[in-house]
Amino acid sequence: MTERMYPGIGPDERTTFAAYSAFDIPEDLRELHGRYDVVATAKRVRNFRYAEEWMMMMMGGWIATIPEVPVKTGLGKVIWETAVAADEFGKRLPELRCGRRAVDSGEPSNNAFADFIQSLAGPETPNLTVEKLAGLFDVFIPHLIEIYELHMRETDQICDAPTIEILEDIVRKKRRHVAWGQEVLDRLCETDGLRERRRTRADTLREELLKSGGVTGTLDTRRESLN
Amino acid sequence: MKRFIEHEELARDSRFIRGNNAQATVLASLPDDVDAVVKAIDPMAQLIEEGVRGTAAEPLFEAYGPAFIITVLNEPLDPEAPAAGIRLLFRMHGIFVGELQALEGAARSLWDFPDAPWEFKMNMARQCWDEGRHVQIFEKLLIHLGGEVGMFPENTFLFECACSDDPAMRVAGVNRGLEGLACDVFRDMIRYAQKTGDTVMEQAVDYVLADEITHVRFGSEWVKEFTKDNPDYLERTQNFRREVDKQFNFGGARSDRPDSAIQIAIEDRLEAGFDMDEINEISSLSSAGPKKETLRQAAAILKELHDARKSNQNKEVTQ
Ligand SMILES: [Fe+2]
Ligand SMILES: [Fe+2]
Repeated sequence: MTERMYPGIGPDERTTFAAYSAFDIPEDLRELHGRYDVVATAKRVRNFRYAEEWMMMMMGGWIATIPEVPVKTGLGKVIWETAVAADEFGKRLPELRCGRRAVDSGEPSNNAFADFIQSLAGPETPNLTVEKLAGLFDVFIPHLIEIYELHMRETDQICDAPTIEILEDIVRKKRRHVAWGQEVLDRLCETDGLRERRRTRADTLREELLKSGGVTGTLDTRRESLN
Repeated sequence: MKRFIEHEELARDSRFIRGNNAQATVLASLPDDVDAVVKAIDPMAQLIEEGVRGTAAEPLFEAYGPAFIITVLNEPLDPEAPAAGIRLLFRMHGIFVGELQALEGAARSLWDFPDAPWEFKMNMARQCWDEGRHVQIFEKLLIHLGGEVGMFPENTFLFECACSDDPAMRVAGVNRGLEGLACDVFRDMIRYAQKTGDTVMEQAVDYVLADEITHVRFGSEWVKEFTKDNPDYLERTQNFRREVDKQFNFGGARSDRPDSAIQIAIEDRLEAGFDMDEINEISSLSSAGPKKETLRQAAAILKELHDARKSNQNKEVTQ
């Protein structure tokens, strides 16, 4: 039989190429189905975008009010990478049937979470660098990492792969932000009093975040602690 | 956290002291008349002296008197000139704090205008990263040249005059006024570095200049976008930038006169979205200020007046 390059309409008019499943080479064990459908994922991405946008804005507000020069300059980079994260989430929204103009439609999961964001942004004066940074780098960004990783694990690995790809990049950078922020905090909190301020601020915000149900509003509020 | 802060609220560590912004404002309104310049600056002599006491600017005050700022600003940087080293550091330190204020201005735009379009926020966020790097770069260059952070008083008038509460005017002031000035100054610093063979400084400032052109372009585009369909708003915004540019000419230090300390970087500004009319306008604003010879004569008189006052005071003390 001569090699047949293209199938014809008859059962004996198949090509001669070997048959493989879409997951054979290399072998791919991912299964269909995840915890979130399109509507649920779209809602979560809107929540993520809301969190990233507000985080970027509050850091922008803080730079001028923070006296430590390396904190100012370090936050500059965190702001940019946070903006890129918000932008990536925004670009995912039209792909999740939210409409072409949905790119900047972030939304909070609930009012309590929106209030939490305002509490996070609360500290203003130059003597409150510890409170500003503890809220972000001890509490909120670790929480986001946890929820983003949860989404990556629990969403449909094949259908929602574009969200997973976005989250992978964002989590990698968020880990760097946390490492930087916590190192800065360790250095700034050189007395027991300052360490206590850091702990108190983190505890207060953790409690408020937990009560709101977190960035997606779905955290089990019976959990003892976050992160 | 409130929206909009005053320049006095910019947070600094213990190395910094503040300069007096009134001097910069006076500089911007000086006419081309020796007596008028003397009259405007002489009443501030005491204040200026107090402001520099204990800082690296003290020798400049001793050498040039109360008008040292106009003398230092209005003479082109020349590696052969007397006190060239300290004058270079004075300029570098001014750039360093200018970058800090540009970082703070761009960052505040994110918080002060929460309802601005998303692309605007993206541009400002990018600028935060860039200005953060610029602060780092100029701290390194300052040390590279033998200086240190806090060696001169910091003047916050860049932030004060550029940071309007209106978004179009904010970008006109910060991104076109302040950042446009940065383009002029950096082009001059590159020329200086080439003259002294300082390749570290030349390459670093060249990269920074590339960033600044991008920031001016953000400003050029957002002024257009914010004021589109509203010619009256555009006119008010342009007037605001004119005022800022007038301040940033430092009494003629930046101008297109052949002997000016800082030339207007025409090519860079064109690339950044300024049109020729706007550039000509900046030139004419600066040429309305005092000529260099006027400033030289005024500076000499001011120094005499100040020295005479001091020797009188000393006589009274010894009597
Ligand atoms: Fe800059
Ligand atoms: Fe800039």
